Amino acid sequence: MINDTLFFMLIVGIIISAGLLLLFVWAAKNGQFDDSNKLIDGMLFDSTDDLNDAIEKEKKIKEAKEAKALKIEEKEKASHKND
Amino acid sequence: MPQVKCNHCHLSFSDEIMIKEKELNFCCKGCQGVYHLLKSDGLDSFYDKLGNKTITPPLNFDDDDISKFDTDSYMKNYANLNKDGFYEIDLIIEGIHCAACVWLNEKILHDTKGLVEANINFTTNKAKVIWDSDELKLSDIILKIRSIGYNAYAYDSSIADEKATKAKREYFIKMMVAVIASMNIMMLSVAKYTGFFTGITPEVMNMIHIGEFLLSTPVLFYSGWVFFKGAYFGLKNRILNMDFLVSFGALLTYIYSLFILFGAKGESYFDSVAMIITFVLVGKYLEVIGKKSAVDTLDKIKSSLPLEATVIDGENKKQVALNSINIGDIVEIKTGEKVPVDGIIIKGEGAFDEASLTGESIPIFKKNGEMIYSGTINTSNLIQFEVTKDFKNSTFSSIVTLLEDSLNSKPQIQDKANEISKGFTVSILTLSLFTFLVWYFFGLDLGFDYEGTNHFEKSFIVAISVIVIACPCALALATPIASLIGISELAKKGLLFKEAKYIESLAKADTVVFDKTGTLTKGELSVTKASIFNDNKHNLELLYSLLDTSTHPISKSVKKYLLSKYDLKQKKLSDIKNIDAKGMSAVYTNDEGKTSKLIGGNLDLILDENIKCEISVNNSIYVFAIDNEIIASFELVDEVKDYAMDLIEYLQARNIDVIMLTGDNEKVASKVSTLLNIKKHLSKQTPVSKAEYIKELKKEEKIVIMVGDGVNDSVALSNSDVGIAMGTSADISMEVSDIVLLNSSLSSLKDAFEISSRTYKFIKQNLAISLIYNLITIPFAMFGFVIPLVAALSMSLSSLLVVLNSLRIKIK
Repeated sequence: MINDTLFFMLIVGIIISAGLLLLFVWAAKNGQFDDSNKLIDGMLFDSTDDLNDAIEKEKKIKEAKEAKALKIEEKEKASHKND
Repeated sequence: MPQVKCNHCHLSFSDEIMIKEKELNFCCKGCQGVYHLLKSDGLDSFYDKLGNKTITPPLNFDDDDISKFDTDSYMKNYANLNKDGFYEIDLIIEGIHCAACVWLNEKILHDTKGLVEANINFTTNKAKVIWDSDELKLSDIILKIRSIGYNAYAYDSSIADEKATKAKREYFIKMMVAVIASMNIMMLSVAKYTGFFTGITPEVMNMIHIGEFLLSTPVLFYSGWVFFKGAYFGLKNRILNMDFLVSFGALLTYIYSLFILFGAKGESYFDSVAMIITFVLVGKYLEVIGKKSAVDTLDKIKSSLPLEATVIDGENKKQVALNSINIGDIVEIKTGEKVPVDGIIIKGEGAFDEASLTGESIPIFKKNGEMIYSGTINTSNLIQFEVTKDFKNSTFSSIVTLLEDSLNSKPQIQDKANEISKGFTVSILTLSLFTFLVWYFFGLDLGFDYEGTNHFEKSFIVAISVIVIACPCALALATPIASLIGISELAKKGLLFKEAKYIESLAKADTVVFDKTGTLTKGELSVTKASIFNDNKHNLELLYSLLDTSTHPISKSVKKYLLSKYDLKQKKLSDIKNIDAKGMSAVYTNDEGKTSKLIGGNLDLILDENIKCEISVNNSIYVFAIDNEIIASFELVDEVKDYAMDLIEYLQARNIDVIMLTGDNEKVASKVSTLLNIKKHLSKQTPVSKAEYIKELKKEEKIVIMVGDGVNDSVALSNSDVGIAMGTSADISMEVSDIVLLNSSLSSLKDAFEISSRTYKFIKQNLAISLIYNLITIPFAMFGFVIPLVAALSMSLSSLLVVLNSLRIKIK
């Protein structure tokens, strides 16, 4: 009984750490750890304003991309019409 | 005088020069401007983030170069259109000191309409900016950055850079996977080894083995893949390298442990597998980081040259990209500009700062018909010159190319551990094969019983146990542990070793090549003899005022000397003239309206003015005269550094050849070398000829150490077996060198040699210990006497012995 519990906990432990490890690998592949100095000072920048800024930033990038895509599409349509 | 902090840059200045604004203080207009801009844009939380740190006051830009950012050639060279239809550019941002600076720049860029993404790397000061060219121009982005007191310019993101970033990321992930898994394995090991002594049921033991197996598998096959790759390439070139030993040892230990896991009797060593891979991988990661930062600095250097030059085509002047300047074109450069390509002066004359090529701080006067080199700075006049070499073959570009090449082909010294590991691997493999054959064919059966295994399996396990017992643990640790302790001892003395292997190279070195200026000498002139013929305070104050108008190194040194002896006040001078490479002249009008002519400079100037003068010296000299009467003269020498004599003596006592290379002339070179008792010196060396000389020495099978400081030494530094740079060196020299003397003191260079030899002695001892250990244990393993507990303990014991022995390096 004790052995089964031990084994169960061991496996759960490994699975959890594997999950965290995968999360880390994903972050590292995204370049989040490229700049060690910025990372260390990162905790200075986690106020509500900073987090809101980060969301704004993502939003802005998304919107800009969509707007640009629309524009390019329109341009292409226009050139088709001219043909 | 009370010191007050500037509200923007946080630097302290005396109260009286501050710009006051209610309770605010600013050191300059720039700081004031930026402060109000941030306030009005709601970015003043910058100051909270900055805390007590200081930043540089904003630079002053006249912004008249801003239009160049929007030219087609600039865009074509640096910006790229990405797949979303936006432009991307790589910038280097100057003036970033802290995370708050990064935050401010990113914030202000993100608040700009039309800018899609800006990402600044704090460590390298590089930024990637993406923007929509329909709404925003590149010049607007640069202006935005300048408005808050920083500067930005584009750089050509090289392929080497991308590769280095990728390699760094890959190694980082691999290392972290290995570290995290090893840490978990260590926790399991604690349970396992306590179990040996307090009793543990086979079921629980097996459980621990399964856990270790799950954790060590990714370490060996994911993180350890680099070693398999290294071993494969080694085998392809018929070399048994350290990678082979590590990967082979780890793989066999892993397979052996698998047998144990699936029922064979014995001890599993999954923990050893993970530990070896992790330790060696951490070392490799540090190497990769070193390479990456060298690439970063090269990028900065490359972008310090202008992008375009003014080419004169008949009556017209036009801006031409450097790549399309042809031999024979006439190029014009203004004061303060860098020479873009090599050429011969055809119009104008002036002094050129060649520090980046020769390391000499005193500008050199050049006139019609003389060669000027790219990378040097035109300090005085408008010059026109005829191009003799295109951009790619010009001096500066060829230095950069040479550096790039040498970064990828750093000479490898065959180190002791590698040498031994080769012989070791071969003999262990032979022994193990021999064991297997004897057990299999002669049915040797001496050891403990291996229940449930057949004859083949039994022989196989015994054969592998030979390799596992001989496992490179102690051998692989012998060098790193001793080196680690050696390196930390060296660091205490202000010596930064980039890789451990240079300890061995330093201990074995037989030739040391020194640069002169800045390495053996202080690199700045100081007054050694002052003859003041007319010791009148008024006259000295006139001299002080004249010196104060010049930025020439000699003037600065004389000024420093005067200020240290006398308390002098400024006088107002008029009609100040700079006479190139000779000196200065000015006019002083006293209260009664009487004028007197002041001149100060070298002997040539005095002769030109027909002043009677009986001074003749070998050193640099500064003579000051009022109305053709000599008032004072100063002799200046670039003094030899403290401990230089001591160091040279020490090296020669160790039978190391000492050679001095310098860009300076023969006269000065021979003087310094006689003073220091250096037997061989070469003068008038260019960066390339220095490197050629190092290569020549290496062809003679010598282990060459190069000690230098300037950009001009960088190629030689990177070509030597070990390059040592001063802590005050140019960035690029520090990056390409292998050891940095943080305090630039020659006495710590002596320590470097001493501690390295000592550490090397202990490395050899450690290797001996691990070999002796193997001599004792391998026979037992070959006969199958591997008692689990003894095997596990002796495995740790050999490593422990090596570690304890290494600690003795600290005890003198």
